[in-house]
Amino acid sequence: MKSKIETKSSKKSSSANGNAAGAKAVPGRAPAIHTSSNGGKSNIMQPLRMNPHGIPDYRAEVPNFTTTDEWVDGKYHYTVKGDFDAPVPAIRESKYLTKERSVELYRWMVLNRKMETALENLFKQQKVIGGVYLGLGQEGCSCASAMALSKTDWIAPMIRNQGAMLVRGFRPAETMMQYMAKVGSPTKGRDSGSHYGDVHDKNCVAPISHLGDSIPVCAGIALGARMQGKNIACLTYVGDGGQSTGPAYEGFNFACVQKLGVILIMEHNLWAYSTPVELQFACRDLADRAIGYGCPGMIIDGTDPNQVYDITHEAVERAYRGEGATLIEAKMMRMKGHAMHDAALYVPKPYFEYWKKRDCITRFEKYLLDRGWLTQKQNEELIKSVEDQINKDRDLAEASPFPNPEDAATGVFLDNSVKIPFKYGPPKVKKVEKTAKLDEASNVSHYK
Amino acid sequence: MAPVTYLEAIRQGIWEEMVRDPAVFCIGEDIGVYGGAFKITEGFLNFFGKERMVDTPISEAAIASAAFGAALTGMRPVAEFQFMDFISSAHTQIANAIAKANWRWGAPAPLVLRGPSGAGVSGGPFHSQNPEMWYAHTPGLKVLCPATPTDAKGLIKAAIRDNNPCIFFEHKYLYRRVKEEMPEGDVVVEIGKARVHRTGHSISVITYASMVYVAEEAAKTLAQEGIELEIIDLRTVAPLDEQAIEDTVKKTNRVIVLHEDNRTGGIAGEIAAVINERAFEALDAPITRICAKDTPAPFSPPLEKWFLPNAGDVVREAKRLMAY
Repeated sequence: MKSKIETKSSKKSSSANGNAAGAKAVPGRAPAIHTSSNGGKSNIMQPLRMNPHGIPDYRAEVPNFTTTDEWVDGKYHYTVKGDFDAPVPAIRESKYLTKERSVELYRWMVLNRKMETALENLFKQQKVIGGVYLGLGQEGCSCASAMALSKTDWIAPMIRNQGAMLVRGFRPAETMMQYMAKVGSPTKGRDSGSHYGDVHDKNCVAPISHLGDSIPVCAGIALGARMQGKNIACLTYVGDGGQSTGPAYEGFNFACVQKLGVILIMEHNLWAYSTPVELQFACRDLADRAIGYGCPGMIIDGTDPNQVYDITHEAVERAYRGEGATLIEAKMMRMKGHAMHDAALYVPKPYFEYWKKRDCITRFEKYLLDRGWLTQKQNEELIKSVEDQINKDRDLAEASPFPNPEDAATGVFLDNSVKIPFKYGPPKVKKVEKTAKLDEASNVSHYK
Repeated sequence: MAPVTYLEAIRQGIWEEMVRDPAVFCIGEDIGVYGGAFKITEGFLNFFGKERMVDTPISEAAIASAAFGAALTGMRPVAEFQFMDFISSAHTQIANAIAKANWRWGAPAPLVLRGPSGAGVSGGPFHSQNPEMWYAHTPGLKVLCPATPTDAKGLIKAAIRDNNPCIFFEHKYLYRRVKEEMPEGDVVVEIGKARVHRTGHSISVITYASMVYVAEEAAKTLAQEGIELEIIDLRTVAPLDEQAIEDTVKKTNRVIVLHEDNRTGGIAGEIAAVINERAFEALDAPITRICAKDTPAPFSPPLEKWFLPNAGDVVREAKRLMAY
């Protein structure tokens, strides 16, 4: 395995790059707000460096370690080489989030985490059918990015983006019922876990288990919307593992070629089941792929919710302006195994220790308390309110019965009497004369 | 009105639906400025505009998935695969995302996936396939295989209007070889309904697509000996018209299932099972199937001829059945 020692840079680069720092406010959206407790310009959310290929990097630190392998007493295992002693960076200030929105973001993350803790407990109580997939440590990425969308945009979450589904309007009970295979689940027990969505008002694509396939679907959604006269943002996620698939490439390439507003957050959380990124791809920064795709790309710290929000927000604005797709690489760590049944024994322990100190919720809580946007009392009340909500939803989920076997046969086909509406209105396309004649097709053919 | 080819009939069908409904648009490789590899959509770009004629990169996965995404916003895409052999590159998207969408999460997928399939033109292994069974086998998809220009036009219209994903196989051998006068007006063929192509009383030949004409040729030869074939053109491979299958077997008591798809795993096995379930008592002889050999489609003409069923096979099997 090749080593990836990189020089650590803690200097903030003051040279500006071509990022969309000065995006104008869009009517109906929160105006750009710059808040800073010390009024210093250095707090503005802008890239702090470029990576070796010129990709803007917003992270306050560049981690300096890599996974390698070794044989010890005839046993193969992974180990790490690098520097794990770097101090934990502060959350960077958001350019766009008000105090209210920041507290809202915090609450979503706490709700996300407590829901997943409840799921973990339900699993241990054997009330869950099948596996439970947790996004521990990734709540900031899911919740902050989803908050940057409008109601009319679309989202296509993957398994560790359950926080994003909460932001979109699903309740914790719905995810719990999915896991417990209850009739009250959004798929009526037909699929499990976070494999659900809603086409009517939450605009959320239900994932399939195959990875990368949500990306071309998002391109199609944005294409359909554009035909109906609207540039929307279509947010989806893919892991460092999932991005290896063909459809991930094919879908995002199509989005970039057509300048469709697909926002792809590559969640670089270092492990795809038991596979470290060193066995997944040969480049260091997934955001480099933006160069090949021909779209803007940037690197952010996925454990800093402000970075996630701001950069997603700017990508959303770009989408609305018709400027097309954005590729965001969010660096973070998968803090548990692939699923509850996976103890992640293959992950060297230093990873967990390093990233635990960088937990998005712990740091964001401190950020809010430090600047007086949350008092200790308000924090305790918020956490209690979340716990009450989770308890209520869990009780609701547990009370829901299993579905009726006979009901599984319905819906394979949709009756043709149903009128399928346009999501954004009738297509705004070239007017056609209903009386026009169709000319004869050409007789050119390769075949007789 | 002059007769039009099978290809022109499909063209007319797509055109009429695009004029009728602004939700309909085309997406695929080379369908815009080139008018499609087989010229099905020639002239459409100039008339309908670029927004409704989307030329894509070479990616069947992107074509199928983007069609699905557009369908989620209420559009009704008609996605073209330059050759249906290449639909395998979109298999994950079709079998998993598209086919299961309505059942799984209440998301309708009113899209059509169409393209040329079939052998007989020295296309070789990758331009001659009949992939219908991969999709007939997947719940949630409708699989259409017209044999005549009238049915091709009527079924493409039905597929575009259907709220469900329809896979539309256009037999390329028939594109310019069969011609028919089109019926007047807006004629839509019902999906899932077979058609009696030729009435007869001796043996039922249950078939579809190009093999309808092979059966027809065999019927002419056999009629001279007093053997009258009844030819049932399935038109829709999934869902099967089980009633039509039952009715014809109960009428003739002898049946040949004839298709150009490979023998193993072709729909003939499925049809034999249906006959077993619904009309076993009516059988005077075992069910016979005549299919392509279990090899990939060969390229060289004498090899392809060996590979494909022909009228001689039908005549031989029919005589054997009559003597049973």
